[in-house]
Amino acid sequence: MNSVIEVKNLTKVYGKRSTAFTALKNINLDIYEGESVAIVGKSGSGKSTLMHLLALLDRPTEGTVKIDGVESTKLKARKLNRLRNRSFGFVFQQFFMNPHDTVLENVVLPLRIAGKRRKERKELATKALKTVGLSDRIKFKANDLSGGQKQRVCIARAIVNNPKILFADEPTGNLDSATGDKVIDLLFGLNKKGVTLIIVTHDDDLAKLCDRQIRISDGKIIEDTGVKPKVTKAASAAKKTREVENTTKGKAKKAAAESVKKPKATSTKLKSTRTSRTAKTSTSSKTTARTTRIKNEKGEN
Amino acid sequence: MHIFETIRTANHNLFRNKVRTILTVLAIFVGSFTIILNTAINSGVNSFIDEQTTALGGDNFIMLMSKDSEAMMSEQMSASTGPQEFTEKTNTLGMLSNEDLEKLKNIDGIDADSFYSPTPLNGTGYITSRKTDKKYNVGSAMILPPGNFNIPLAAGTLVDQTDEAKQKNQIVLPPEYPQALGYERDEDIIGQTITFALKDEFNGTFKEFSAEVVGVEANGIVSSQFGMLLSRALYDEMYAFATKYYPEDYEAPTYYVMATFDNTRFSEDEIKQIIKDAGYSTWTIKDLMGTIRTFFDVIMIVFTIFGGIALLAAAIGIVNTLFMSVEERTREIGLDKALGMSSGRVYAEFATEAILLGFWGSVFGVVVAMIIGTVANTAVHAPGGFLEVFPTFDLFKFTISNVLPIIIVVMIIAFLAGTIPAWKAAHKNPIDALRYE
Repeated sequence: MNSVIEVKNLTKVYGKRSTAFTALKNINLDIYEGESVAIVGKSGSGKSTLMHLLALLDRPTEGTVKIDGVESTKLKARKLNRLRNRSFGFVFQQFFMNPHDTVLENVVLPLRIAGKRRKERKELATKALKTVGLSDRIKFKANDLSGGQKQRVCIARAIVNNPKILFADEPTGNLDSATGDKVIDLLFGLNKKGVTLIIVTHDDDLAKLCDRQIRISDGKIIEDTGVKPKVTKAASAAKKTREVENTTKGKAKKAAAESVKKPKATSTKLKSTRTSRTAKTSTSSKTTARTTRIKNEKGEN
Repeated sequence: MHIFETIRTANHNLFRNKVRTILTVLAIFVGSFTIILNTAINSGVNSFIDEQTTALGGDNFIMLMSKDSEAMMSEQMSASTGPQEFTEKTNTLGMLSNEDLEKLKNIDGIDADSFYSPTPLNGTGYITSRKTDKKYNVGSAMILPPGNFNIPLAAGTLVDQTDEAKQKNQIVLPPEYPQALGYERDEDIIGQTITFALKDEFNGTFKEFSAEVVGVEANGIVSSQFGMLLSRALYDEMYAFATKYYPEDYEAPTYYVMATFDNTRFSEDEIKQIIKDAGYSTWTIKDLMGTIRTFFDVIMIVFTIFGGIALLAAAIGIVNTLFMSVEERTREIGLDKALGMSSGRVYAEFATEAILLGFWGSVFGVVVAMIIGTVANTAVHAPGGFLEVFPTFDLFKFTISNVLPIIIVVMIIAFLAGTIPAWKAAHKNPIDALRYE
């Protein structure tokens, strides 16, 4: 099994001496490729701190975080920024969009930071928006969207750089249950295509949808349901896809990645039929349900 | 690498809050507008002074006179010290004798060939042409100066300096004479023959002389003082007539001599010292223009200080604007950083915003100053304008070399003002920035 995040003896202390507050105590944790993990806990339990440390937004006081086997605490700022930019996607409860910018401008942000060219940015953003079913809102101002649509734009922004790990911090916290469900479907749809999903929530119903629940209280893991067999399957599927990616170079590799994201894409568009077939088989069964959901959603909008 | 991207983003962010940005730009505009207008006046005045200076032969021009005339001059120019007691020595009335002239010509560094001691013609005379019945006063009429006097002309050329041409009766007219003599434009009178007349003081009749007009002087402070400039032949003929009842050994008095010195070998101060040591006194362009320049320089400094104070206030405005912007965009900065934007780039974007504020403010200042300057230049030269008589005097002069440095300096000031807010933005912690209250 392939762990994407490996956490050892993680401790985070805020403040100094008399005012010191230990937010996390000696956490050990492995997260595997393709998993969907819920980090659950009450307010102040340390779940957000854990997510920040996993997402390399903060430095631990003690312990290590390895991303894909790379020890992140030793990385320099530039490499850390690049790693975050390329490997992670973020979905926040409060969306954090630039309200006066267009949907497109919001979605291309990670690509702009990565220094991608204008044309490429637009192509990738259009694809990401298609995935979340908002192709027709591309030129809208972010402010003119509904809450659910905003969160879907945020998901498009999170996946536009084709990340390996998607962090979602209370993704449905600001949404009513109907729109929240759509967002959840979208997130799990992405997970089923091989993206590792880490959701931070206090909502047990949402947590139950994940393969694995990690319960945090007072800075300690009090419960970890562990890796389910289903995850192993998903991980192996993802692994298979990756192996195929490794054997084919250049455009074929890219095409394979795209096909994983968008199984609806016709194989004629792809350079290597072999790649697309493999990718399709690995994901087809899981994506069918999601595709129908997206369609329904589109119809409603 | 991403410089255009950064500029575009910064500009986009800047104009998200249009009112605030425009007000800040306006503050910068006031400062840079004041300084630019002021610089333009200064360079307009200076280039006019320079032009007038070259009319007298430029930097190597020097006026030579006796010590006494210096005393007389300074007495005229300063508060009176009352009547001075008579001595033989001080009663020379400041004239230079032939002996003095020879002595001055022999001073090393003084160009003997350049000696020009204009002696105006004495007598009663008038000037007229075939195109008009009216007669006009001659004013001052002098022999044309040697070639190193670069008198600005509105039309034609200075009187020919060749020996052959000196034999001809030629004349350069002061400004506005062509119109009085019936010619619409200055160019129309070039090559035309006009009539000069001098009164015979004994029998009251007028003797006429004809001369070909070769040039018309442009208006200016110095050039108009030259009056009519006559070729050697014309001058000699008229001088002989004007002095025909004088004693045979009569010599016109010489109060001063204009000359040039070798400024490749001597500085102005050195040549002045040499002449002082020889027992004479001097007067240079710097002495003449120095007071005018000092006057304008003082005004210029005062206005530049005003502009500087306005810019300082504007710089504080920039700091304020950017601080507000950083606060407003805290979450956005946090998101940018969470998504992998480096602190350096956050800094660069805010610093670029500051520089752009400076850029827009100063460019706006330049544009408005140029519009006002151009309109004013036209207005002061229009009939009734206070510079109507000086057509070559552009009150406001805009050049790349006086405008560009101001824009750059304002941009640097803006950058410095933006440093603190940009630093603050760059050091925002993504987690704190994204924390939801």
